[in-house]
Amino acid sequence: MPSWPALASQAFNGLALGSLLALVSSGLTIILGTLGVLNFAHGALFAVGAYAAFVMLQYTQSFLLAIAVGCGFMLVLGFLLERLIIRFFYGRPHEDQILVTYGIGIVLVECVRAVFGGNAQRVPTPSWGQGATQLGFLIYPTYRLQLIAIIATLLVGLYLVLYRTSMGLVVRAGIENPGMVGILGINLRRTFLLVFAIGVVAVGLAGMLYAPVVAVTPDMGANFMAQSFVVIVLGGLGSFPGAVVGGLIAGEIVSLTSAFNSSYSEVMLYALMALLLVLRPQGLFGSEGRV
Amino acid sequence: MKLDRRQILLGSAGAAAGLVLPGSAAWAQTPASIGTFPDGVTADSVFIGLTIPLTGVFSGDGGDLKLGYELAISEINAGGDAAKKWGLQGKGVLGRQIRYKVSDTEGKPNLDVQSATQFIQRDKAIMLSGSVSSASAIALEELGSREKVLYMVGIAGSNDITGKNCQRYGFRSQQNAYMAAKALAPVVAKALGKNMKTAFLVPDYTYGHTVYDSFAKFSKEQGWQQVAKEVVPLGTTDYSSALLNIANSGADVFVNIAFGADAVASTKQAEQFGVLKKMKLVVPNLSSFQDKELGPEIMQGVYGSCDFWWTLSDRYPLAKGFVDAFVAKNKYHPRWGAHIGYMQTYLWALTVERVKSFNPVDVIKAMEASKEQPYETTIGKVYFRAEDHQMVRPIPVLRGKAPAAMKGPEDYYEIVDVAEGESVMNPPDLFGCKLGPYT
Amino acid sequence: MNRSRSGGLRSHIPELAILATLIAAPVMLPHLGFSIDLLTRVLNWGLIGLGFDILFGLAGLLSFGQAAFYGVGGFVTAYLLVSGTLSSVWLALAAGTISAGAFGLVVGWLAVRRIGIYFTMITLAFGQMAYFIENSPLSHYTGGENGIPGVPVPVLGFGEHAIRIGAGLPMYVLFAVIFFGGYVLARRIVRSPVGAILLAIKENTARVAMLGHNVPAYKLAAFVIAALYAGLAGGLLGSFQSYMPPDAFSLETSGQLVVQTIVGGANTLIGPLVGAAVWLWLRDNLQLVPGLTTLWKLVLGIAFIALVVGLRRGICGEIIHWLTERRTLSARRAAEAATEAIEAGAVKAASSRGRDTALPLPSPATGDSDVALEACALARHYGGLKAVDGVSFKVRCGSIHAVIGPNGAGKSTLFKMLLDEVSPTSGHVLLFGSQVTGHGVSRSAQFGIAKSNQLNQLFPNLSVRKNLRIAALARCRGPLRIDLLRTADSLPEVEAQIEAIMALLDLSACADTPAHILAYGEKRRLEIGMAFATSPKVLLLDEPLAGMSPSERAATCALIRDIARTCTIVIVEHDLDAIFGLAERITVLYEGRLLADGTADEIRGNQQVQDAYLGGLHAHEPA
Repeated sequence: MPSWPALASQAFNGLALGSLLALVSSGLTIILGTLGVLNFAHGALFAVGAYAAFVMLQYTQSFLLAIAVGCGFMLVLGFLLERLIIRFFYGRPHEDQILVTYGIGIVLVECVRAVFGGNAQRVPTPSWGQGATQLGFLIYPTYRLQLIAIIATLLVGLYLVLYRTSMGLVVRAGIENPGMVGILGINLRRTFLLVFAIGVVAVGLAGMLYAPVVAVTPDMGANFMAQSFVVIVLGGLGSFPGAVVGGLIAGEIVSLTSAFNSSYSEVMLYALMALLLVLRPQGLFGSEGRV
Repeated sequence: MKLDRRQILLGSAGAAAGLVLPGSAAWAQTPASIGTFPDGVTADSVFIGLTIPLTGVFSGDGGDLKLGYELAISEINAGGDAAKKWGLQGKGVLGRQIRYKVSDTEGKPNLDVQSATQFIQRDKAIMLSGSVSSASAIALEELGSREKVLYMVGIAGSNDITGKNCQRYGFRSQQNAYMAAKALAPVVAKALGKNMKTAFLVPDYTYGHTVYDSFAKFSKEQGWQQVAKEVVPLGTTDYSSALLNIANSGADVFVNIAFGADAVASTKQAEQFGVLKKMKLVVPNLSSFQDKELGPEIMQGVYGSCDFWWTLSDRYPLAKGFVDAFVAKNKYHPRWGAHIGYMQTYLWALTVERVKSFNPVDVIKAMEASKEQPYETTIGKVYFRAEDHQMVRPIPVLRGKAPAAMKGPEDYYEIVDVAEGESVMNPPDLFGCKLGPYT
Repeated sequence: MNRSRSGGLRSHIPELAILATLIAAPVMLPHLGFSIDLLTRVLNWGLIGLGFDILFGLAGLLSFGQAAFYGVGGFVTAYLLVSGTLSSVWLALAAGTISAGAFGLVVGWLAVRRIGIYFTMITLAFGQMAYFIENSPLSHYTGGENGIPGVPVPVLGFGEHAIRIGAGLPMYVLFAVIFFGGYVLARRIVRSPVGAILLAIKENTARVAMLGHNVPAYKLAAFVIAALYAGLAGGLLGSFQSYMPPDAFSLETSGQLVVQTIVGGANTLIGPLVGAAVWLWLRDNLQLVPGLTTLWKLVLGIAFIALVVGLRRGICGEIIHWLTERRTLSARRAAEAATEAIEAGAVKAASSRGRDTALPLPSPATGDSDVALEACALARHYGGLKAVDGVSFKVRCGSIHAVIGPNGAGKSTLFKMLLDEVSPTSGHVLLFGSQVTGHGVSRSAQFGIAKSNQLNQLFPNLSVRKNLRIAALARCRGPLRIDLLRTADSLPEVEAQIEAIMALLDLSACADTPAHILAYGEKRRLEIGMAFATSPKVLLLDEPLAGMSPSERAATCALIRDIARTCTIVIVEHDLDAIFGLAERITVLYEGRLLADGTADEIRGNQQVQDAYLGGLHAHEPA
């Protein structure tokens, strides 16, 4: 049995892990909720984001500037993918959507590999995030503490976009009743384009912010994709609050399990999901009828 | 030894000529036809099949490995000075040019077997090589022995390759985890002191556990005491939970067994958690590009061992030839992956020329007898042990240089010591090796 | 695919074609760069694909976790053999296959609760869980990431005469035999009543449930079948290459299976096989293209995108579509022309219906009581809104009973409560004295309550005959029966009933026309006919006349009277003239409450009803 301070530090760490999972999953969930498309290129876009940060950092030497330019790049990438491919698949069956996004994922990852090779690229911790901070009961990396704050800000921003703007109204209406929005004659073309691009930027941004922490390799997104699937199943498909809460829960599960035995952390995550499916099949914030 | 019924079927399915029957006088000798021999040997060429991950998580190491094979093959085919220095005659091997194909295995053992079988059945490959994981190597050894085609192991450090999964048709040049740990532990203990407390980060797979077992054993013999052992799933991206426990363990030395991208991520995060400030980092088996991927700021002072480091070219002439030719061709210094591909190809070619035959049984017997006639290589004199086909070889122990001490952009390590091979070998039967039949 | 009853050799053409291909392949295909080994692998993928196609192509359930069953089958087989627990490869294969099936039962039980993308993600997550469990906690048994080497090959016969099935051609023959057996079995499953119901589930899940089939159980059956096929293929894989690889469990294995199936063509059974041949061949040969060595995967990814944009049905799907299109084009054109003619009003609908058709149906009155259906204080509240508020009435056995009321009176909600499609907030429904409420819509259908819907709920891509067959199979087979080996059209009494009902509906001429091509009036009749084909004791008709022309109304009223000879009918309808012509007894609802209940004449004279209708009805009188 681990000591209480150890459990407390793991609980805190779970918060940090969970906030990232929340950001990664929110992109997946708003695309799924609004467009009805399960984006299997999600993991690849995470990696593309990290590489965007890597490249921009070479040119700008400033982490914040690199992230700003990187977001612009992800936005353009999102626009292009939606206009050139995704929009033709809104009316097609799920399996076609999955296959095409799966194909996009392969193409993106292999493009990255063709350009940068298979070895990990170095994205150093930004100068303002160096070192570790003493938090009383534990020492925690400064950059990760900052990440929690940055991601919280981003999630609040995303919340404001989704809940305080007219576009957000359309998006949420679309999540609750996909047929209705079309009947109302709202210009869905532009909304869908924007939503897809925002989803791509959200996951790309997660990749950029995490680039200094993980090994930046072409295949880095695969693990995150599987975990973000679990997160949105936990939270309820297409639910933004669900993705946030689901992310935090998943982070805590992984982290707290590690206090006992790290090798079971992934298994516990899936076991919890199975349990939830028995008790509440629609997820924490999902509604029974959706999808 | 009794005749394997499978062999009868194989023989009848393949070349029908020269089937060996039990009880005949020819029994003890080499069969005239076995596996892809002699079908795979034409008047002017032979084929070797290379199964290498070029995509997927091992693609970095795979790319390096591939360049090593390609360099060796082009040198051997050209028959120039490089090949002559190794002791080969004329162009090619026994006058035959080496043809080869590379199949991308994506790091999945199933695809290793699939690609290798294509090479055997379609291309009549006379030799197989490749693999960037112990799992792939185990699968290919099994296949090679079943199909009676020689397999020269690529990158694979697990004890099992020449232990419980050893096979008559597989030979490994890389040191196993036991040898690496036995070579490394005294050097590190001498440098850092006896009576240290250690924390281990162990990736939860067979390779990780064997490296842990070996290093824990030999570090304990040096008086070190384990205070933490964190087992993490393979392919973990975030090690924060495990690192928290390690940071709080009060250890003096952090032994990181994670490999490849896992090693990069875990070491990077260990630095952020302040673990590297408090503890010395020891990496029993350094990953190929770990130096470059993490940078000298993190890697300085790190102790570890690996198959080959390019500054060995100061000690061995063949290593100098290899490194110079590789840099000229590929514009970077070879890592140990490339070295394994390069050396394994040459060792096979040398042995074929020794026995003047591509017959795998002859080649295997000659390799098994190489203790009497060691090979002169890029790492000095080496030979394969007859009992388990593990190469007995010197092992370099490295320490990461500080950025200021680096003489060039890729001068990441200094060679602290080169452990002599025979002193670090495990007893041949320790890991349960039972080699199968020749035929 | 449109397989009509054409017995004999003709119906076995697909089997013969597969057999011929399997025999020819090792002779022909090596010239294209397929080694025997690669062909055997293609067959292994094809074998998992057979089960997967039943799950995905037939039942429409996209699983992303088939690798879990492939892996379980493989590792159980390999472990039993290598550990020495079993010495017979055949027994180990059986054990592996059964283990995979058992695991499929557990995962499926959880997964089939959800549909669509949710189902896909749940299976994906379980696949990942299996992968992690195999790799860590069970690595002592599975060898972790190293897998299990040294799996023996199968042996035929015993002792002296035993023949080891070695690598190469013998192994190919073994796989070909097993694949062929698997294919024949899979095709029988597709053609069985279970297969017909699974296909209907893909078309319209809710209607299948409403007809009385136990939908989750059938889905689970498909899931277990797919798991069994995957388990068998996994077990064979280890034996085939004397090595059981851990990546059998990986997400990529599931992904590759899905991609191969879609590329090859779903719901064709051989689609996954063709897709696997394409994938493995491309993978092998793209790498040999100079300059593509490391870029082959990129090219493959682009090829997928192009393929899924271009070929919507996959390779086999497009071929089969093209073939059947040619064969049935004239028939379909004729059907479409007939539809257009009816909708233009050129043809008098329902002209010559045989009035004396004998219906092979159970006798109408079952049960002692005179009352067929009784609603007891039914209420349904949505938050503060009381859609139905304490309504009670009795339906006399053998009668036509109407429920009327102005719009918003709660008729549809009441109707849905009668067969437990909507659970009442309070109150209950009795059918011949036994409780219906609380059992769900499928059980209600099994008890003998059927409903035709206000909006058509057909299986649009199935023919009229097949639509009716799904309905007719429900009560004669019960909620669940796993009769995989009989053909769906082999129950004589069911077929007789379908014929009789088609004659009654005047749809015999378009028996093989897909439902979506029918004219509106024909669709309405089919909707009623499907409810009737379940042989109900009580038939609920929700606005059967809505949207019909006057001549169609007359014909449908006649149809309803015919049906009423064999079962009790409850009808909701706005067309009061028709109602007063049909119904013996009428229940009037107003604002969720019972306003009046009596014979047609009593209601006609009821002042309250007149007031209610004067208040609301005139505005809503249908044109």
